[in-house]
Amino acid sequence: MVQDNFLGNYSSCVAARSTNRAILAGSQDGGIVTQLFAFALEEGIIDGAIVAGPGDEPWRPRPMVATSVAELYAARGTKYNISPNVSFIKEATRSYGLDRVGIVGTPCQMQAVRKGQLYPVGLRDVPDKIALAIGIFCMENFPYQSIVQLVEDHANTKLENVTKLDIGKGKFWVYTERGAVVQLPLKITHKYEQPGCHVCLDYVANLADISTGSVGTPDGWSTVFVRSKKGTDIWSKAMAAGCFETKPIEEVKPGIELVTKLATEKITKNRKTIEERSSFGVGKGLRNPYI
Amino acid sequence: MSKVIEISPTTRHEGHSKLVLKVDDQGIIERGDWLSITPVRGVEKLAVGKTAEQVPKIASRVCGICPIAHCLAGIEAMEASMGVYIPDDAYLLRVILQCANRIHSHALHNILSLPDMYIPGTDVKINPFTPEEPVRSVAKRIQRIREIAQTIGEISGGECIHPSNPRIGGMYKNLQPRAKAKIYDLAKEGLVLARDHMEFMIAVFRNFQKRDWAEVGGMQVPIPDDLGYHNQGYMAADPLYGSSSLDENPRWDPARWNETRPWDWYMGEMEITDDYPEYPIGGTTPKGAKAWPQMEACTGVPLYDGQPVEVGPRARLQVFKGYDEKGTMAQQIARSMEFPDAFYKIIECCDALNCSAPVLADEIPQGDGSLGWAANEAPRGCDVHLGRVKDGRVQEYSMLVPTTWNFPTCSRALTGAPWQLAEVIMRGYDPCVSCATHMIVVDEDRRLVAEKLIQ
Repeated sequence: MVQDNFLGNYSSCVAARSTNRAILAGSQDGGIVTQLFAFALEEGIIDGAIVAGPGDEPWRPRPMVATSVAELYAARGTKYNISPNVSFIKEATRSYGLDRVGIVGTPCQMQAVRKGQLYPVGLRDVPDKIALAIGIFCMENFPYQSIVQLVEDHANTKLENVTKLDIGKGKFWVYTERGAVVQLPLKITHKYEQPGCHVCLDYVANLADISTGSVGTPDGWSTVFVRSKKGTDIWSKAMAAGCFETKPIEEVKPGIELVTKLATEKITKNRKTIEERSSFGVGKGLRNPYI
Repeated sequence: MSKVIEISPTTRHEGHSKLVLKVDDQGIIERGDWLSITPVRGVEKLAVGKTAEQVPKIASRVCGICPIAHCLAGIEAMEASMGVYIPDDAYLLRVILQCANRIHSHALHNILSLPDMYIPGTDVKINPFTPEEPVRSVAKRIQRIREIAQTIGEISGGECIHPSNPRIGGMYKNLQPRAKAKIYDLAKEGLVLARDHMEFMIAVFRNFQKRDWAEVGGMQVPIPDDLGYHNQGYMAADPLYGSSSLDENPRWDPARWNETRPWDWYMGEMEITDDYPEYPIGGTTPKGAKAWPQMEACTGVPLYDGQPVEVGPRARLQVFKGYDEKGTMAQQIARSMEFPDAFYKIIECCDALNCSAPVLADEIPQGDGSLGWAANEAPRGCDVHLGRVKDGRVQEYSMLVPTTWNFPTCSRALTGAPWQLAEVIMRGYDPCVSCATHMIVVDEDRRLVAEKLIQ
């Protein structure tokens, strides 16, 4: 077990991608989340998974309980705005009748899930039903309005025409149906971020069973941290079933150093924000959400 | 000369109550008063001015054992006042919820009443917590039945305690087919357990009925044949679910209901003249203390046709199914007989439920201030909520909960029994005292009258 101040505790870290072409066709990077949930569903490790499914408006995710692989496919790809997945966690065990729930979410959502398991206020009989929690790397998130603004005003593209959104190599990328690609420097996107994200001290979902994200690996691959006992168990089963193609993280560029660098940057920057907030205003500061 | 004995607090039931008993030289009760000493909740006052959506949720908070009954009765009283008709599938979900609540509550009550009983054929009292057989497997069965019922409640109602899914106009959500299948499986499993459990419980109660004596606090007490008999009437609105003023043939009539003050009903001030320190759980109240039931009772005394009536499982069976046995054991047996019925109903509702149908009424009028009532057959009996809603706000709200009806009736049933068995009689009613505590009293002209206690 590796213990790292910024990357959390993990038992192994690899570069991986799904071996399933259908999953890769619509996935953000290596199709890790979709493949893991699909495997867990088929193996009966989970009865269903809470994922960010398609919403009423283009690129606006809505939490969805996926109980089939087809439903999982509908939720592939990153939407870069908020999908309140944790809000479905109780409903999944109620009117959906699930006994083993999978959930995917950002680091803050993983914190919420774990907190809910520890103090199940309003989550009666939910804690023991969370079978697999997958975290995704997150620098910050955007409200839906921000995405509309960025894509429609800054990138001059109708949201309906967008096929993929991505953040990488210091830019915000908008891919459209007709092949045009717009890149926006992240300097522009900063002011559209959720202010609440600026106090977050977690980059790689330290509390998830398995966390994954694109940073640290080449295009089409994902970095995977296997953290908990449950995560290790499911990951090794998935590996044995041939779900993933992997490479040691040391052999890929840019490698774990970039993940550490970005995590350090995020956390250091946000610690500063927390400090600033503590003396914000007159007489009393804003609360540190971590204490 | 008669003696006065007080058992305070009474144990092994929900809430806080006491028994004040006038007994003769042989220890036979001449007159008994069973009264609630749980402080008044004031839900009725709290409700005034709130939105109709809020009130049933507040009302369900009076108790954690049958919040489902209060929630459903509250919601249906609001719907009755506003004139909302709910879709069929929402009704089915509510019935499932109702059955789940009844099963879990009855099973819980078994744990409370079993310690009074004997293992059939022996003089050994049942301790539900002993690791020894045959009691161990019974306790486990009770746990499993409760677990099943609570899970069913959780799925259909969102929560098994204080359900979140029922709402005015129907339910928030219909079930997914998978959840329906889960309920169905659970009910099938529960049905088998419930039938075994019913047979066991009936055997235990019949055995108690046949016994000549029972042991209470080291005293050997004769068990009379007419333990818990009374000549009051019975009241029930439905064999299983309930009735409301929206029904074509409402089965409860507010015109027949009246309420009187404890001042007019219970005994006056008196001194405790006898005590028994060896009575279980700390003995009876010491000699010389004062009891004043008139002033201490925290409930109104509701009357139906001018008399206190019994509500509960036996009342349901008596009114709708021709069950005519009297007494405490008959009451317990009636309760046990409701287990399989409730499971059958859940299965029936699952069969009928359409998972893709809407469960919320298309139109929800906001109310014109007319009186609506709903009588829900809670585990302990008929739970009537009355309300007036105007423009979405509650103007008036009242709860007539089962144990409130049972307080004066049970007080009558105490007469003629040895005082040591008073608690056994009381437990036959499965009292749930905290929700019974209300002080809304109206006089013959249906005006709210000033209460002696609140002066």
